Amino acid sequence: MQQDCYLKFENITKRFPGVVAVDNVSIEIAKGSCHSLVGENGAGKSTLGKILAGIHQPDSGKIFIAGVEKRFRHAGEAFKAGIGMVHQELEFCENLSVAENLCLSDLPAGAGIVNKKQLYEKARQMLKVIGAEHIDVEKRLGLLTVANQQLVQIAEAVGRNAEILIFDEPTSSLSQSETENLFRLIDKLKRKSITCIYISHRLGEIFRLCETLTVLRDGKVIGTKNINEITEDKLVEMMIGRSFEAYFPKHIKSEKGPELLRVENLSSPGKFENVSFSLCAGQILGLAGLVGAGRTELAEAIFGLDKNIKGKIYLQGKEVNITTPSQALGCGIALVPEDRKRHGLVLSMNVAENICLSILEKISNFFKSIKKRKLLEFVDKYFNLLKIKAASPWVQTLSLSGGNQQKLVLAKSLATDCNILIVDEPTRGIDVGAKAEIHSLIDELAGKGKAVLLISSELPELINLATNILVFRQGKIAGSLARNEVTQQKVLRLMAGLRN
Amino acid sequence: MLSSLKKISQTLLAKQQSGLIIVILLLAVILTALAGSHLDKTTGKTVNNFFNPHTLMQTATDASFFAVMAVGATMVIISGGIDLSIGSIYALCGVVTAMMLRHLNIDSPTACLLGIFASVGLGIICGMLNGLMVVGLEVHPFIITLGTMWIFRGIAFVMSKAESILVPGALTAFAKANLGLNPALYPVAMLVMIAVTAAGAFYLSKTVMGRHIYAVGGNAEASRYAGLHVKRITVSVFAISGLTAGIAAFMGSAYYGSASCGDATGYELYVIASAVVGGASLSGGRGNAVSAMLGAILIILIRQSIRTLHFDQNYEWIIIGAATIIAVVLDKLNAQLTLKKAMK
Repeated sequence: MQQDCYLKFENITKRFPGVVAVDNVSIEIAKGSCHSLVGENGAGKSTLGKILAGIHQPDSGKIFIAGVEKRFRHAGEAFKAGIGMVHQELEFCENLSVAENLCLSDLPAGAGIVNKKQLYEKARQMLKVIGAEHIDVEKRLGLLTVANQQLVQIAEAVGRNAEILIFDEPTSSLSQSETENLFRLIDKLKRKSITCIYISHRLGEIFRLCETLTVLRDGKVIGTKNINEITEDKLVEMMIGRSFEAYFPKHIKSEKGPELLRVENLSSPGKFENVSFSLCAGQILGLAGLVGAGRTELAEAIFGLDKNIKGKIYLQGKEVNITTPSQALGCGIALVPEDRKRHGLVLSMNVAENICLSILEKISNFFKSIKKRKLLEFVDKYFNLLKIKAASPWVQTLSLSGGNQQKLVLAKSLATDCNILIVDEPTRGIDVGAKAEIHSLIDELAGKGKAVLLISSELPELINLATNILVFRQGKIAGSLARNEVTQQKVLRLMAGLRN
Repeated sequence: MLSSLKKISQTLLAKQQSGLIIVILLLAVILTALAGSHLDKTTGKTVNNFFNPHTLMQTATDASFFAVMAVGATMVIISGGIDLSIGSIYALCGVVTAMMLRHLNIDSPTACLLGIFASVGLGIICGMLNGLMVVGLEVHPFIITLGTMWIFRGIAFVMSKAESILVPGALTAFAKANLGLNPALYPVAMLVMIAVTAAGAFYLSKTVMGRHIYAVGGNAEASRYAGLHVKRITVSVFAISGLTAGIAAFMGSAYYGSASCGDATGYELYVIASAVVGGASLSGGRGNAVSAMLGAILIILIRQSIRTLHFDQNYEWIIIGAATIIAVVLDKLNAQLTLKKAMK
């Protein structure tokens, strides 16, 4: 870099049990620029950000800010030095008010007693900086929508007048317009010569925002580039170490088989109404819509998680009444839930147990003790099929990267030998490499005669994979598009309630 | 005027405590109605068996020992922990204070002051030990305080040689001062309960430290990210829990005139029940001091009603156990309703 270096990482290394998360990384970043850290999940981007924010301490290496070496023992010291971080996972105290969350590390107080008036005033100021005045600072944070919670998190980092800001996947639950607001904010911050580090999987965002970027893979620096000397294809290649073709696999055209699932006039008060569709073997039915349009709720209803539904569900022509997930699994329906950490996995259990969680009964002997040989058979099968990377079947699930965790959830569902697979946001927050693998897997499954219901907020994903797309809007089906007529624009117009 | 009254009553009703207060008042009314009455020999008037100054004051006094400890225990529970050792801290503080005063052989207001400092100080030390072990050894507080529950009581047992130790009369004179009321009424324990609850409520809702306790219990990881000293906060809540046990121990041994290693056996469960009946969530982040006190009063009132109504006392535990579960279920339903309303 020719520009003056303001923030400098020098030979930073950080080990976690079993992995080197960050391996001898050196990066120089100019003041007032936006620098992106790019790489697959588990590449060490978030860890590097957290080291700068004082949450992790490096095993070796140094950090310099404006030429002065800095050492942060905990997050509080990094705050004081003017470093803020917007975390990928929403880290909040949901039991406290928005204002208390915003000012948690520095509650305005006299003699140890919190000054409510000042607190609310300060919180309103912080929200105003990012243009989110509509959020009520006195409301309990747990009552806000996810998008608003994310805005609060951004306000928390930005509003304290930080000199360096780290954004770790800040747009994962923001709408299009909120994302655009955030980008304008970052532009404004740069003009105030605040230095930004932007971690994202979304290449479009990186090209929109950043001047420079560093590609990380397996904790190592693959290269640091100016944004104008690199193309999207080249970037993906650097990230995954193979060519762009893998990004969106060639669609396998599968034969339409017999009807497996039919839903007629299904409604759930306050969630969705009068939903009807039919799903055949070999088909991938995509559900498009905004967050909260009722897609996840529909998936949960089919999977037996909603007791208030009205309407009819037919499996292979026979009407069924599914009221629990175990019934659903028994009928050959499996769900890959949206939130893998809360609903998909038991993070404290090991990888093998998670894969076989739904079928432990089947692989146990007469005395209900689990047959280890059978367990390992399944684990082997899915490690190979899904290319799961884990040190051994016995490592804790917590230690795996997001992409590998997502593959485990898929493996768990596939292990139940389902013929109807519902996947809800299967590639959220995972890297391009794992994404491509999951895309081709879904395609293959349909090719093998499974019926797939695919919920996704990423339009390219839906358009490339689905044989048919149903667009949801405010709990109703706003339209249906076949594969040959679908365009991104048509889907967007339906989602927004405009006529085509 | 009318609208402001309506507003006040609405905000009062929206408070978490209102449900508890209504239940307590309802129970008191039922008790008064069913208790019957007796003839007071000295005055010649008929007196209700429940609704009379003596019984009410005695109920408040009984509740005060639990309630004082429940304020401290609630803080531990809000922070996401649990403290099983408070009954044993109570016994140890009582025994050590009584032995010390016996050894010094003083019986004056100074003895009273010394006793307060000794009991409270030892309580804080015991609580800090709990906290330091939880933080330093990274063992779940349930296990640590289960261990110290036996250790503290064991120390009290060894020190006192299992004997009951009399406390100086000055302490009893303080705890049973009638403060100008009818000579047979002793309001000090009740006043201490109110003072401790008020202090605890203020601390939890108004101070920075108090809000940090809620933050740690709500999401420890987020609190760490926000730069809070999570370990320091954990140690301090256990210290406060020990402090309230020390206050209760002083009041208890002074009131009853003696201390022994068997004092307050099983109190920890009553106290935790009080906090939970008062709406504290064992997963952390929820609860408050006033509700904890009301929880203690409710439990004692239920116990009192068994006596007043001449039910078979052998059923006491069954009734209290069932009441605890019912109270928590009702509170949960209420919380769900409030959440639904707030979401709209």
